[in-house]
Amino acid sequence: MDWGLLLTQATMNGLIIGLLYLLMAVGFTLVFGVMRMVNFAHGEFYMLGSFGAYYFTTGLHLPFLVAVAVSFIATIVVGGLLEWLILKPFRRDELNGMIVTIGMAMILQNLALMIFGPDPLSMPAVAVGTLALGNVVIPNSRVYVVGFALLVLALLYMFLRYSRLGRALRAVVEDFEIASIQGIGARVYYPLGFGLGVGLAAIAGALMAPLFSVSPFVGSTPLLKAFIVVVLGGLGSIPGAAFAGLVLGLIESYASLFFSSSTADMLIFAVVMAMLILRPRGLLGKGEI
Amino acid sequence: MRLPSFCKDTGTNARPNWLVLLAVIAVLPWFSGPFVLHLAVLTCLNILIVSGLAVISRSGQLSFGHAAFVAIGAYVSVLFTSAFGGNIVLTALAGILLAVVFAYFLGWVILRLKGVYFVLVTFSFGELIRLVLLDWGEITGGANGIANIAPIKLMGYAFDSRARFYMLALVAALFAVLAMRSLFKSPLGQAIDAVADNPALAESTGVSVHRVQLVAFVMGCALAACGGVLQARYIGFISPESFNPGLSVAFIIMLVIGGRKSVWGPVVGAIVLTPLPELFRGAVQTQHIFYGAALILILRFMPDGLISLMAQLRRKSKRGHRD
Repeated sequence: MDWGLLLTQATMNGLIIGLLYLLMAVGFTLVFGVMRMVNFAHGEFYMLGSFGAYYFTTGLHLPFLVAVAVSFIATIVVGGLLEWLILKPFRRDELNGMIVTIGMAMILQNLALMIFGPDPLSMPAVAVGTLALGNVVIPNSRVYVVGFALLVLALLYMFLRYSRLGRALRAVVEDFEIASIQGIGARVYYPLGFGLGVGLAAIAGALMAPLFSVSPFVGSTPLLKAFIVVVLGGLGSIPGAAFAGLVLGLIESYASLFFSSSTADMLIFAVVMAMLILRPRGLLGKGEI
Repeated sequence: MRLPSFCKDTGTNARPNWLVLLAVIAVLPWFSGPFVLHLAVLTCLNILIVSGLAVISRSGQLSFGHAAFVAIGAYVSVLFTSAFGGNIVLTALAGILLAVVFAYFLGWVILRLKGVYFVLVTFSFGELIRLVLLDWGEITGGANGIANIAPIKLMGYAFDSRARFYMLALVAALFAVLAMRSLFKSPLGQAIDAVADNPALAESTGVSVHRVQLVAFVMGCALAACGGVLQARYIGFISPESFNPGLSVAFIIMLVIGGRKSVWGPVVGAIVLTPLPELFRGAVQTQHIFYGAALILILRFMPDGLISLMAQLRRKSKRGHRD
């Protein structure tokens, strides 16, 4: 067996999965940073995003990129509205807020079940053919997905770094009180932060829809992974989530070469527990506590 | 410190009414069909388990891995029986004891975490236990679980029918409620409430927050394991999937909807929510949407749960008497 080839292939797969985790986790940690809420409904927005991509491309025949953008914007609006209607009284209330998002997740998932039915749908691939890089072969559809994901990340980075809204949002994440002293009002930034966070989950869902199947249950695994990544990277830390997302993707991909997947899962949960106990602020750490 | 209004109550005219109602609810299943009996048994077991969660919650921590301790109780007692035989009391004790040991060491390490971090670490523990049970196929039967578990036999009397088992379950639930009542009247119970109310103040008045929370955590998990032991014997089948995180969520929902701050909260939560799936038979989605909406509405408008509604009603009726 050619270990070099195997490792390169595993690295590529790990990067793709890592990008998915990264998108999920950055949104998850943004919501936590702004709202102080562990959002158990995050996976359901991933699910909504993938249904969005499915119906916008197969039903309305929009180009894939447009479908992704439309699902993203629609999810931001829906997320912002839900924040305003449901979560408003629970902002910064860690425990009750978390239980409320559990309720929200149950409602969203079961509404999707009633509307879309339980059967998984499969979406046509975005592109055909393969791309050969030396010995490593990658399907073109995956190359596209990676390209789009990187584009989204670049845009997100620019938004958070340079735009007025993005900088204000970061200030809220950093220190809510000082941000409000500077005149950054809560009225806009709570719905915006939540909407943007779940919008990122929707993008992840939309981008992954052509690679995996689409069903009301697809959100649970990405939610679990986002949760693991965010614990590793530090709750509320955006760079931490980005770093840990890629690392988790790569580790899982390499681990699948050596361990059975259940052993790998157990190891990951053991690491998460150790991390929470020994270094709750995460790998890159600032954070709180 | 806020004591639940039921404990504080000095009026005697209103209290018996609720107890009579509860007694009627408790006796009724024997005179109804097997299906109602089945629901009644499950309700009693849920009262036991959710009471355990309530002890932990009242010390200021929310456990998201409660199902894991139910699983430990169930698996250990069943495996102990198949390995060493022996009488049911011993095997039940083995299950509860191991859960206590686990809870003690786990709690000792993780109770220094607060709020959301504690929730996340207990959630991970729940998943870890489930994965271990799945993976350890030679002993736990893996995903197939363990079937044909013999019913409980005490001094030659087998609790092998629903009506017979219901006696046992009712005693267990009664035990849980009475234990909770006397706990929260005792100094230890007050310390548990104090620690949740204001940890800094509790610590500075000489109450060790960590130790009190540890005691609460161990007691809560022991009740969960107790529920697990009984459940395994009643259903006759256990598998890792019967203890998935969804079950922990269900316990949290019962606790929150019933009422987190009262001894009677778990009772009300379990009585209201356990039979609910039957009302929505054939419409599981509607049922879950209802759960979700109820959860949000209760938290928003009645953060102390349904039990606070009853306390309010009583206060009103008492005022009526006085006028």
